[in-house]
Amino acid sequence: MSKIENLELLVVGGGPAGLSAALAAANYGIKVSLAEEREFLGGQLIKQTHRFFGSEKEYAGTRGIDILRKLIDEVNKNKNIEVLLSSRVLGIYEDNVVTILNDHKMKKYYPQSIIFATGASEKFLAFENNDLPGIFGAGAVQTLMNVYGVLPATNVLMIGSGNIGLIVSYQLLQAGVKVAAIVEAAPKIGGYSVHASKLRRLGVPILTSHTIKKAIGKEKVEGAVICELDSNWNEVKDTEQLIKCDAICLSVGLTPLVDLLKQRKVKTNYVSELGGYVPLRDENMETSIKNLFVAGDVSGIEEATAAMIEGQIAGLSVAKRIGKNNKREIEKRIEDAKNELELLRSGPVGKKIRKGLFKLGLNHGKNYNENFSEEALDISHLMKTGVPSEENLKNKLPSEEKVFDKGPIAISECFQRFPCDPCVKSCPFNAISENGNINNIPYVDFEKCTGCGICVSKCPGLAMFVVHKNFSETTSVVIMPYEFLPRPHRGEIVKVLDREGKYLCDGKVIRILDGKFQDKTAAVSIEIPKEYYLQARNFKVEE
Amino acid sequence: MDENKVIICRCEDVTLKEIRNAIREGFTTVEEIKRVTRSGMGPCQGKTCGLLIAKEISQMTGKPMEELELQNIRPPYGGITFEEVTKGTITENNK
Ligand code: SF4
Ligand code: SF4
Repeated sequence: MSKIENLELLVVGGGPAGLSAALAAANYGIKVSLAEEREFLGGQLIKQTHRFFGSEKEYAGTRGIDILRKLIDEVNKNKNIEVLLSSRVLGIYEDNVVTILNDHKMKKYYPQSIIFATGASEKFLAFENNDLPGIFGAGAVQTLMNVYGVLPATNVLMIGSGNIGLIVSYQLLQAGVKVAAIVEAAPKIGGYSVHASKLRRLGVPILTSHTIKKAIGKEKVEGAVICELDSNWNEVKDTEQLIKCDAICLSVGLTPLVDLLKQRKVKTNYVSELGGYVPLRDENMETSIKNLFVAGDVSGIEEATAAMIEGQIAGLSVAKRIGKNNKREIEKRIEDAKNELELLRSGPVGKKIRKGLFKLGLNHGKNYNENFSEEALDISHLMKTGVPSEENLKNKLPSEEKVFDKGPIAISECFQRFPCDPCVKSCPFNAISENGNINNIPYVDFEKCTGCGICVSKCPGLAMFVVHKNFSETTSVVIMPYEFLPRPHRGEIVKVLDREGKYLCDGKVIRILDGKFQDKTAAVSIEIPKEYYLQARNFKVEE
Repeated sequence: MDENKVIICRCEDVTLKEIRNAIREGFTTVEEIKRVTRSGMGPCQGKTCGLLIAKEISQMTGKPMEELELQNIRPPYGGITFEEVTKGTITENNK
């Protein structure tokens, strides 16, 4: 007989949910082993070079890779956590014995409790020639570029406009790759509007109600045929068009990776709102099998912030059950975490998640504040095109023109209700407010705003600008966020673009803030002819 | 659409045509289709094809997705050599 190692908690998966779960339990004295299949920790965070949305409390405004560094640091310092890298969990059996392949040996473990934080896998799409070389999942593209520094192609067609599709498109552009278009089958953009606007300002078309019909190419991808869809998702005749590209990136959603759960015969239900077959579980993240918990995307597809909070809930629940002390304190922390989750999910963007959870039998009797479940503004045009409507803009601009006479003021171009507050938290003058709820749209108090420009670098959506209309007799200055290389230098003449990435005029760079504080989102002041101060929202540096 | 050119299982190279034929022949669970077509038996263990096959079954039979299940997944999850199995045992024994 082989020896079986006993342990208190096994966490499977070293992504944001798993790391948070391990920390939450270990901080209350639970002995944790954390098994990660790869040779490094981090899960998807390792390739998230962009800043996160959400609440400041949960690291919003910080780049994914920096959040990861903090978590790993804490995990490594915690003497209750044993990290098992390159350790693939091979099986879980009915008696809860878990086998792990580590160091080319299959070892057996007998954990008192397990948290599965195995994440998700990407969905695939059925279309003609979908096996041609050059067809990637968005995750693969991101791994190639952001982890290994390899360019996947030179001109990419993106399929899917959820947050991943939008973010990866942006990162492709940052890496110097062209994005031919973003194709979205639904009639509206799936991800956050601020991401979409960011891409439109760079001139990338977003084609809603469109789908890919086939990939073209002999040895590898040379193009794709796309077409329009009507409101019943049927192809519209004679709308086929050929798009030239050398790669097609699929970003059509994620599905929970429940394979190990299925080995243990955890009951799963199909819930489309949560990405596919999801495990049944309770509010404390415990599945139908006692002492077997889930956290993060494996329990339903959501954002990394939610995954981290779910990890905490699962970890704390284990600590509460097998720990000796602090039960009260742990209960309080679980309650706080649940409230935090509820807040994150209470806006219009969380609607889908709420519906999915309801189908799982969760959130019964929970009263989400319905005041926040609908959009405050009509953003249908914005969600179709990525460009705000005149109405939307009017709503966020000063009601009186003379406010601009005061000097530089911040303009927020964030129109969607979603849980995000770095702008509010960043302003040293308390000039930005969301009226007490993180899901509200931020408004600038032009009286209080000094035009300092701090918020321009801090907004993860690049939706904050500072406009100094009367910079001189004939010119205005706009401070814009800029995350591309090469950086412009002072005095340089750049091509100034509008919200659709169209050329407006030439502009002169008069100041660049690009220090440690800006953390790679430079705030660039550009002097432009006065007539464009309400349109100029991006610029291009000629190489 | 040319069903022969649409790949559903990339690991085992199973086309949409083969999947549809199997469903027509009466194999209407993902598990059965896995057994008759080898879809889902490759290195990715059905991560690519599982959901696509379920959707196809749902569309062709009219059965809602909620009533379908994915294929069974048994240990070991991923390839392992006999040497790795036995080594583990011996090492643990000698501790
Ligand atoms: S420009 Fe400065 S003062 Fe104005 S809202 Fe932004 S951070 Fe606050
Ligand atoms: S403006 Fe504020 S709420 Fe909107 S994306 Fe930026 S930081 Fe978030």
